[in-house]
Order: sequence, then structure tokens, then C-alpha cells
Amino acid sequence: MIRSVAALFVFAVVLCGYIVLRPAPSQVVPIPEQVAVTRAQTDSILAPTAAQEITQAVAGVVQAPERNTAPATAVQTDDSTMDQTAANVLAGLGLTVEPNPNAIKDDPMRQMTTGVLSNIGAITGERINGAGATPAAESPLELLVVRALKEGKSDAYIDTIINEAASAGDISVPRLLVTSDGRVDTAVLLSSIVTQATIAAGGAAPAVPDVPTGDGTGVEVRVVQRATETEQYRFYTVSRGDSLGAIAVKFYGDVNKYDLIYQANRQFLSSPDTIRVGQRLSIPTI
Amino acid sequence: MTQKLGISAAVVVGLFGPVVHAQDVALRPDQSQMTFAVNGQSFTVQRDQDTAAVLTGELARTSRPCPDFCIQPMIVAEGVTPVAELELLDFLAGPVAAGNGLLIDARLPDWFAKGTLPAAVNVPFAALAADNPYQTDILRALGASGDGGTLDFSAARALVVYANGPWDEQGTRAIKHLIAAGYPPSKIHNYRGGVQAWAHLGLTLTQPAP
Repeated sequence: MIRSVAALFVFAVVLCGYIVLRPAPSQVVPIPEQVAVTRAQTDSILAPTAAQEITQAVAGVVQAPERNTAPATAVQTDDSTMDQTAANVLAGLGLTVEPNPNAIKDDPMRQMTTGVLSNIGAITGERINGAGATPAAESPLELLVVRALKEGKSDAYIDTIINEAASAGDISVPRLLVTSDGRVDTAVLLSSIVTQATIAAGGAAPAVPDVPTGDGTGVEVRVVQRATETEQYRFYTVSRGDSLGAIAVKFYGDVNKYDLIYQANRQFLSSPDTIRVGQRLSIPTI
Repeated sequence: MTQKLGISAAVVVGLFGPVVHAQDVALRPDQSQMTFAVNGQSFTVQRDQDTAAVLTGELARTSRPCPDFCIQPMIVAEGVTPVAELELLDFLAGPVAAGNGLLIDARLPDWFAKGTLPAAVNVPFAALAADNPYQTDILRALGASGDGGTLDFSAARALVVYANGPWDEQGTRAIKHLIAAGYPPSKIHNYRGGVQAWAHLGLTLTQPAP
């Protein structure tokens, strides 16, 4: 009896040991996730942390799935929005931009902070900009653009320095600015800054443009007739140098609508910075 | 006869007049009330003149459940000075009126809306937490300067922080968040008594404009 109990006990210990120590094939899977996370960290772009270097080294050895290790671009991206980036650049140039009321409504912390700032302003009499108008720290991209604009540099110069800094890994950019050939779409960046400054100065927001269709434009229109209604579908074939932001401006006149296109094409796009030449994107009608 | 009536009237006024008009409940023996101005807005602090007044309702409660409403320490953090009503009055008449001090109501906005201290600013403790991405905006509005991470608090305002009362953690949390963000403890003062102690002395409560 004691022998069989002891034998069972030993078996249980060995089994537990095996469960704990056995090689887990699933351990390989989380690593690409970590790579994706570290990429999005704006703070560590200028000085990669040891952890980041380690995860990148590990990713190189382990060979993560292709969708993670082979993005269309080496440009580092982050979660910043165009509104935020443009507002920060304008703030760096000494212009203040009222925060987008819709963005405040969607963000309770921002709403609370804006309330706090107006409370403080009411008692001190100081003019305080809304939450987000003075960012915690301007990103290297924003500082670069501010400096170039202050020095009166040309668009071509700004395009060159931003792309040089991006390929050197010194800056990270909003995903919607990454073009199909892995560059930074500085034309859309600069035009968004102008648009926001125009709106801040009381000018009208850009209207939805008429998009030419036909051969060579990359734009196709499909009209589907149903019993009760006629529905129009638009498609756009990505060409060289297009970014999702540029396509949003082309079809909607508003860079921030890039997410509509991204969401409608989620089956092809793992992220807004992964568009490629020749991809056929569905353009939702708004 | 007419002269006699006049004299008696004068005696009556002389005897009772000053008694009727004097403040029975003063702030201090030599100060019946206090008026101060902040940035052009005038505020008056005085006490309820009804000597029979008692607290009722929410402010009279003694036994809120703990947790969540637990007894708070007097010294929240090293270097943070506790203050009571008289120091608070001096703070309002001095630094707040001069524009280099702020009286902070650290409660969430729904509490603040029910009534607060004169010249107080609502800065809910949650807005001061490190997880608020716009925390730096608030710290700058309080007088800090520079970029996030390297904020300079040398010109930051002196603060008196309070919440509902000695049982309310909101003030304690606000002070801890401020210190964690780098605000110098020497510039922070804690009015632990809060709205309840203030009301218990019959001091003026104001209704913030909606």
C-alpha cells in the first residue's frame, strides 16, 4: 500500500515537473507582439532602451511571422493623430489652436483637464490653452518641422530632412503619413498644418473635393443597381508615394478621415502604414 | 414734553442700537468678516450669525463606511504643512489675493458643484494623476514651466488643498499625485478639515457658477 502511494507520489512529481519544464512551443508567439509594442513607444526612439534592443535581437533570431518583421517600411510610427501633430507644430510656432471639440468629447480625461484649466484661468485671469494644446513634450518630428518652418525652409528641404531622420530612425511619424514606398508623406503633413492654422484663424475647413476618375487616375467607380436603390462604390489603386493620409485628403479633403478607408480595408491592411503600390482600396462613401 | 421723548428715544437707540448691528459670531475677536479680491472678483468670508444654527444633512454625518471613507492623516507627506481655518483665511487674504497662491478643491466635479469654499478652484485629484495624459497642462497652469519630465516648479503657486473632510481621501490623493509629479511639498498645504470643518464653524460656502 505504502509502496503504491509512494510510486503514485513520485509519478505525480515527475508529471508536474514535466508540465512545468517542458519546452513550450507557444512561447515563440508572444515575441512579435512585443516587437509591435516597442515600435509604438515614442519615448524610446532617440535612445532605444536595452529592453527594446533585446526584443529586436530576439525577433531577429526567432523569425517572427512575416507580417510583423517585414513591414513595407523601416519608418518608425506612433499613435499620434494628425490633429495633434499639426496643433503641436503650430504651438511650437507660437500659434495656439483650439482643441477639436469632438476630440475632447471622446476623451474624458481631456474633458476634465479642459474644465480644470478653465477653472484655474477663471480665478487667475491668465489665458490658458485647452488640454493638449501644450503637449507634454514635442516629438522629435514636431521639433524638426517647427525648426525648419521657423528658418523658412522650402517644402523640398523639409521633405529631405524628415525622410533622412526617419530612415536613420531618429523620428517616429503618425502611421497615416507612411507612403506605399516607405517614405514620410511630408506634403500631407505640411498641408494639414496649413489647414489647421486656417481653421484656427476662422477660415473654412476644406470642402470634399471632386475626384477625377478614369484611366491613369487609379480611381474606379462601380455602380450597383438594386431593385430599390443605386449604390456607388469607389476603388482606388495605390500608386507610388501615396500615404493613407494623402488618399484621405484626395477623396474627403480631410486627412483625419484616413481611418474610414483603413477600417473599410482592414482585411488587406494590418496597420495604416502598410499600404503598398498596386493595392486596390475600397473608398467608403460619406 | 417733546424734549423728554427725544431724550428717551436717544437713550433707547444708544442702549440697543449697537447690539442689534454688531456681529455676534466673528471670525476673530478683532475681525468680524473678511473681504478680499482675486483678479477683480470680490469674495467675503463670514460666519453664520444664527447662534442656534446646527449642521444637518450630509455635513452632519459621523459614520460613513470605511473603506471607502476612512480617517485621513494630518501629515500627508513630509514637508506638506497642515493648516486650519485661520491659516486658510490668511492664505486667501495673502497669496491667493496676490495671485501667487491657489485654494484647490480636490474633489470630483459633482461634489464641487454642491458648494465649496470662496475663491476655490476645482482641480479633481483624478486630473492630477500620472495617468492623465494632460497632467502637464494642469501643472503648467499651476505655475510650473518647461517641458514634461523636466518641469521647473520654482515659480509654481503655493497651494492649499482640501476635500470633503477628515474622512475624505480625495485631498490626500491629490497631494500625493502633486508630489509624485515633482511639485515641491513646501508649496503644498493640507486643509484636512475640508468642507465639513469649514461648514461646522458656520463659515461662508459658495455655490460655484454652473
